[in-house]
Amino acid sequence: MEKFVDLAGSPNPTRRLLLFGLASAYTASLIPWALAQEVTESDQSAFQTLSSILTGWRSLDAAQGKRLYAALVADDPGFPAAAKALLAMIEQRKTDPMQLQEVLDEEKSPLALVPWRIVTAWYMGIVGDGSKARCLAFETALNAEVVADVLKPPTYAYGAYGSWTSKPR
Amino acid sequence: MSRAVSGLFGRIAVALALAATAYGVTSPVLAADAELIARGEYIATASDCIACHTAPGGAAMAGGLALSTPIGAIMATNITPSKQNGIGNYTLKQFDAAVRKGVRADGKLLYPAMPYTAYALLSDDDVAALYAYFMNGVAPVETRPPETKLPFPFDIRLSMAGWNLLFLDKRPFDPDPAHDTDWNRGAYLVRGPAHCGTCHTPRNLFMGEQASSQMAGGDVGPWYAPNITSDPNSGIGGWSVEELVAYMRDGHVAKSQAAGPMAEAIDNSLRFMTEPDLKAMAVYLKTVPPVRDPADTQPVFAWGRPSDDLASIRGAAWPQDRDQMNGPQLYDAYCASCHQVQGQGSFEGGLPSLVHNTALGRQNTNNLVMVILNGLHRQPDVLMPGFARELSDTQVATLGSYLIQNFGNPAAKVTAAQVATLRAGGSTSTWPVWAARVGLAVAVLVLIGLIALLLRWRGNRRLATQH
Amino acid sequence: MADRLSADFVVVGSGIIGSLAARKLALAGASVIILEAGPRVTLAELVARFRNSPRRSDWMSPYPSVPWAPHPIYQPEPNNHIVQAGAYPYAAEYIRQVGGTSWHWAAHAWRNLPNDFRIKSLYGVGVDWPFGYDDLEPFYQEAEEIMGVSGADNTGSPRQKPFPMEPVAEPYAMRRLRERLAPEYEVVSNTTARNSRPYDGRPACCGNNSCQPICPINAQYHGGLSADAAEAAGARLIANANVYKLEHDEKGNITAALYYDPDRASHRVTGKTFVVAANGIESPRLLLLSTSDKFPNGLANSSDMVGRNLMDHPSTSLTFDADEDVWLGRGPQSPSSINVMRDGPFRSEHAPYRLDFTNISRVDGATRALIAAGVYGSELGKRLRYSAAREMNVKNVLEVLPDPERRITLSSEKDEMGIPKPEARYSIDDYTRKGHERSQQDFQRIANLMGGSNLRFSKEGEFANNQHICGTLSMGNDPRTSVCDQWGRAHDHENLFLAGTAVLPTSSTCNSTENGLAVALRSVAHVLEQQGASTSATGISKS
Repeated sequence: MEKFVDLAGSPNPTRRLLLFGLASAYTASLIPWALAQEVTESDQSAFQTLSSILTGWRSLDAAQGKRLYAALVADDPGFPAAAKALLAMIEQRKTDPMQLQEVLDEEKSPLALVPWRIVTAWYMGIVGDGSKARCLAFETALNAEVVADVLKPPTYAYGAYGSWTSKPR
Repeated sequence: MSRAVSGLFGRIAVALALAATAYGVTSPVLAADAELIARGEYIATASDCIACHTAPGGAAMAGGLALSTPIGAIMATNITPSKQNGIGNYTLKQFDAAVRKGVRADGKLLYPAMPYTAYALLSDDDVAALYAYFMNGVAPVETRPPETKLPFPFDIRLSMAGWNLLFLDKRPFDPDPAHDTDWNRGAYLVRGPAHCGTCHTPRNLFMGEQASSQMAGGDVGPWYAPNITSDPNSGIGGWSVEELVAYMRDGHVAKSQAAGPMAEAIDNSLRFMTEPDLKAMAVYLKTVPPVRDPADTQPVFAWGRPSDDLASIRGAAWPQDRDQMNGPQLYDAYCASCHQVQGQGSFEGGLPSLVHNTALGRQNTNNLVMVILNGLHRQPDVLMPGFARELSDTQVATLGSYLIQNFGNPAAKVTAAQVATLRAGGSTSTWPVWAARVGLAVAVLVLIGLIALLLRWRGNRRLATQH
Repeated sequence: MADRLSADFVVVGSGIIGSLAARKLALAGASVIILEAGPRVTLAELVARFRNSPRRSDWMSPYPSVPWAPHPIYQPEPNNHIVQAGAYPYAAEYIRQVGGTSWHWAAHAWRNLPNDFRIKSLYGVGVDWPFGYDDLEPFYQEAEEIMGVSGADNTGSPRQKPFPMEPVAEPYAMRRLRERLAPEYEVVSNTTARNSRPYDGRPACCGNNSCQPICPINAQYHGGLSADAAEAAGARLIANANVYKLEHDEKGNITAALYYDPDRASHRVTGKTFVVAANGIESPRLLLLSTSDKFPNGLANSSDMVGRNLMDHPSTSLTFDADEDVWLGRGPQSPSSINVMRDGPFRSEHAPYRLDFTNISRVDGATRALIAAGVYGSELGKRLRYSAAREMNVKNVLEVLPDPERRITLSSEKDEMGIPKPEARYSIDDYTRKGHERSQQDFQRIANLMGGSNLRFSKEGEFANNQHICGTLSMGNDPRTSVCDQWGRAHDHENLFLAGTAVLPTSSTCNSTENGLAVALRSVAHVLEQQGASTSATGISKS
């Protein structure tokens, strides 16, 4: 329980904002169980909720979520059930996302790979392993969004010649 | 201001040194007043003489550039002060006749590929300064470009007389007391030396400039010289004076970037003009009577919004037949690296936004196609690569349509047939400014043709009568 | 049959060196055919492949191996194109497509230091080159003017003419390095084939930060442009032509190149002079494949030196977090270096090295690392921003000495075309290892000067490879210890020239392309000079 307090109440929000300049969409103080209560019957919406908890983004793009979800299901037909089970577990135990992987690993949970898959899908835009891996997003992957105020995704021009010499904002 | 002027004086110094070397102490014109020569050079720059009278890689003002027209090449002449090959023997009066009336020293008429209808507005003082510059500030070059040889009946220069009667107003610029000095200076520059209307004013049946539609836009070979009247939608009414000055000086503002012949006009001429002169031109342009294309329901720089279609293409392979590539795929592969994912341009705008850009807001999409094909080149260091080699006509049409639909005026169109035509009419290199005058040359030829027909018809009638 | 192919010069390989050699020959009026094993691929397609790749950090992912011209692939599954048989794996990457491997280089275009040509004489290690810096200097310049090289004069390689371009504008992160390291190290701008202004119709760098695997705007020179230039000069380029054998006459002169098309139909191309420029592994492989009764060990191999003396530039590295935000990823990928350890008396004891600072965006790598560490929730974005802003990396680029035991041979395994695969025997010796050890002091010091924390040294004993394959067709004056003479002419064959990084006798601390290209241009100048003297005899004809 204390862990959630730590997560929800940032020790120094002002400094954090200054330091990281986080976009408003980015939820620095996401409270997982609050979102978990909004779950509907729909698998898709369960996935979206679980994704918000795991990625720390409150307002995830719904269309992107649909595409990623479809790809994850195509990659593993057992994914809908696994995602729902993981969401139920988080909801029930109020697990801190930062502790989640450790808990799953310690328990040798069959769900151990599920958060990794979901976060990789959202943050890297990639679904599947090895030769089955597919790119679903690049520019709109969350790891590009997180730094979009400072960096362009590779292959996109930073700007006119020499624009990169200035101190980043 | 300071850059242009200091550059100017630097070049004058060099020019004078050259002149001194060439003529030695015996030159009768060496004493010509440096200030007068400097002013002459400035007028020559404003008039962009160098654009036509210098061949690529050739000596300045030595001519040799062939202005190709459908019926043959009109050759730009050597206008250096060479006595054998240039205009070294011209008196001020002869020089004046050539510049303002289109009459050579030998009395023959120039083809109006030379924009003497605009230069006719030059003041006596400026013509004298121009003469001083050409005689003293330009190094004589002893090369002689080939004579212009147009096939009969186009070689009858006398026929220009009729055209001149219609379209040549021989009076110098007359200041309008209803306007201030700035406006009058701007009007003089725009309509006189800078001859903006040569490209930007549409042509009538005889290819003379339409007096009623000054600056309303005209075709320049495969390019389109847009409407620069004061209309807020179709023209530059929505531009601030500062934006117009910046555009003429730098070649770009957020809403528009110069390409093709306009880029050349800036490279050779406008960027060397003083800030007050550019401001005066802007002030005048903003008063040119508005002409609106009804299709321009909002300013041509106000269309579009940032958008992408990445979801449809990420993780999907290209079609085997590259002509089947869709707009998002083409945009992704050829445009997005610089203009960014949503067409929004780079952080500081150094790489232009396609949204709210005149390039995509006009009904006439020729310039869009030309830039996709040939890129955009401006001095000293602006280069957008062209894709004429990489992209088929179909691909350019697909890409152009995607750009218009997403970032521009969706009522406009780009077709593969249009691309094919422009590709054939364009050159893979930058279109030089003289292409702008080809239309004029063609006009003349049309007229000559008419006269010739008339003469033959009369002749035939006479023959018929004799029978 | 229509397929009768013949030319004054037949060039095997359309990479940056083969193509520019072909171009120079074609410009001199010779007829030239270039045979390229791989396909033609456009820049736009490569950009799209990268953006659609599920393995963006695998720079080979936009360059898949094709069955008719396979090249090494390591992810997601290794294709074992190079069979490993040595003490240390030689995981070289190269690209078989029109334009070759420099489609995805970092465009480092360093000249050797003058002393690099004489390390045997000066330091008692390696070998001396058969010529010196001054002999190569004009051809460095020629290479730099063709490629459009930008650079600064403070890198220890004297020059007769200025660089074609000023150094590329320094990214902010590199400026901070230069400023903070200044008391102890001089951080210099890299010499790169990257435009700092429009050059040769190509734009200035716009900081796309994807020099590897692909510069999307051609601000960086690459072999695809060389191939275009060769064709523009009149050379005929045949893609998908996998040369598997060279034939010779009774005097040992090369008469024909045999190639397979993708359907494994064989074609024969005849010529007067042959240039093999097929990369440091594929070139020796081709010579070894071309056995006959007269040359049972393959062509150019009477010395048994073909494929030996394999060298590259192994690297170890340090990643750390600076005590200020520097945001790698703004501007080009590889902007700055420290050159102080590239030469000195220490070379008799251990490998010299260049210290190379990366400016590659940390975002993808940090994301993967954080996810792998189970960092989820809001903490993930926060830490990702921190890593992207703070992470820095320095690596060494170590010289490897020529050693005949490090080599490429033919494997008993065959590739998809039924051609024996190359087999590598590679090792990291004490000379290189000691250079690595020495560099750790620099790593530590650099991190300290940047207020570094969370220092992550690369795993001890592991050396990353830099794909600067050289030595396997070494040039030298002694036919018993080298494959070709100083002009690249095979000691054993009058009309066979070898071009490419394979001919470099030592690896120095320079990325190999500029050296290989300058040497090749020198060879072509020599060929033209010689043949120009007796045009009728050698048959340079206007084509």
